[in-house]
Amino acid sequence: MTHRCFKRLLALAAVLLLPAWAAGQESAETRWDPPRTRDGQPDIQGYWSQRSDITTYSIQAGLEDRAEHVSIGGQNPQKGRPIIDPPNGMIPYQPWAAERAKMHHAVHRQPPTPDVFDPVSRCFLEGVPRIVYQGNMRILQFPTHIVVLHEFAHHYRVIYLDGRPKLPDTLKLWMGDSRGRWEGNTLVVDVTNHNDRTWFDIVGSFHSEEMRITERWTFVGADRIDYVATIDDPKVFTQPWKLRVQLGRNKPEELFEHAVCEGNKAVHVAFGIPFEEKK
Amino acid sequence: MIKGSGWWAAVVAVSVFASASPAGQTGGGQAIPRGPDGRPDLSGIWQVMHQGAAWNIEDQNAAPAPHSAPWLGIPASRGLVEGGEIPYQPWARVRRDENYKNRLRLDPEVNCFLPGVPRITYLPFPFQIVQTPTYIGVLYEYVHAVRHIYVDGSDHPPGPIEWWMGDSRARWDGDALVVSVRHFNAETWFDRAGNFHSEEMRLTERYSFLDRDTLRYEVTVEDPKVFTRPWKMSTLLYRRKEPNVQLLEHECYAFDGVAVGTRPQDRVGR
Repeated sequence: MTHRCFKRLLALAAVLLLPAWAAGQESAETRWDPPRTRDGQPDIQGYWSQRSDITTYSIQAGLEDRAEHVSIGGQNPQKGRPIIDPPNGMIPYQPWAAERAKMHHAVHRQPPTPDVFDPVSRCFLEGVPRIVYQGNMRILQFPTHIVVLHEFAHHYRVIYLDGRPKLPDTLKLWMGDSRGRWEGNTLVVDVTNHNDRTWFDIVGSFHSEEMRITERWTFVGADRIDYVATIDDPKVFTQPWKLRVQLGRNKPEELFEHAVCEGNKAVHVAFGIPFEEKK
Repeated sequence: MIKGSGWWAAVVAVSVFASASPAGQTGGGQAIPRGPDGRPDLSGIWQVMHQGAAWNIEDQNAAPAPHSAPWLGIPASRGLVEGGEIPYQPWARVRRDENYKNRLRLDPEVNCFLPGVPRITYLPFPFQIVQTPTYIGVLYEYVHAVRHIYVDGSDHPPGPIEWWMGDSRARWDGDALVVSVRHFNAETWFDRAGNFHSEEMRLTERYSFLDRDTLRYEVTVEDPKVFTRPWKMSTLLYRRKEPNVQLLEHECYAFDGVAVGTRPQDRVGR
């Protein structure tokens, strides 16, 4: 079978299987009667982390972008392609933004200035949605808010469910401002008020302060949450795009301290800055 | 009603309540919030109302801040330390004075590092307590620090561990939450005046309701390497009650001028 022929067959199989898969998805979701909290929310409390093999190195082409690291360092190659819409798995940048993203990518190993060096490598906050595919988390639920504690760099989020008004647009936060509500088994969270300093990955996929995210955390089974973030930013992208992360339940674990700023030497090394004297 | 009698009645009512409440109960006859498990419910957003403690946990006079911005001057304040003075060993008092002189360079807060415990408690930023029967999380606005306080009967891990925020294990003593905190590093300070400890520091904190919107915070500090005896601090935590209050962010390590590569001495990309 020729390569081209095989690809066509795959495409055909995908088209044929898609409706069945979607239907299966639907019914599993509606059949699932989750445990509930005292106040009636689906109880998603516990310990979770991604099962989608996504690397924060690059959400568009992790395998290719990280190939050099993998070959030098021997890390596990990660094949996750989180962007499900557009179907090509790539961020739909406007032309000017595509140029800037290309520049970020080109200099990411040897940035000329700190502002084009991955903010997380500088120990800054991950922002949403990057923190979701970064590491393990613990979810706590209360009638008026949901708290997500991440082990990575002690990030936390407080997602208010009590219908309080959103923050004014002028306030900009690294982790944004989250307001949630339940739609059946799906926690829908509007995340707004982002600053423009977070990236989606190490190679420099970016957004502006006008980004708005709608997260859908769908509780599809006792041990699985399907997370889909719709990311809209009319200043940077040509259309909203979607990123999917499958979260799996972990065994209960204590979160350790993860102090990343305190010992961080990434910027020192990248720019030849001498380490501070101890005392 | 005769003008003024309402005021007098209120005074009488308050003093009756105050005298009627036996020692160990909350003042004012107010019921304290309780969780489904019957324990006091510490949930909420809290903050100290004591600007001076962040500068110095001992008594201090008003003074200009060690930088030139006058609106950030140091307020006069009473210390938090019981008995007024920290019982340093002689060498340690010398070191504290050195720290004070070099505080602009040595204070870990200058780098916006995790400030440790108890310092994080009386920094002038709000923090949010979230509580379940077995776990209490404290989320701080200041550098999004977090404390995980386990109330599940577990003991400290054996260590050695050196954590900026220590390892916290709690139990209830009546209506007071008593937290043992161990496994610190020697990097954090108590305040901006150079007061310090070693990695052998052990803390016992006590959180108890004074009324439904006020917590008494007491902490006993033990560190045989630095002090001659255990010593104690106390202050009050006030509930933030503004209807629109929520934690925002104070990520000062990311400020230009603080972040590595943007500090004046770094000379990057110029």
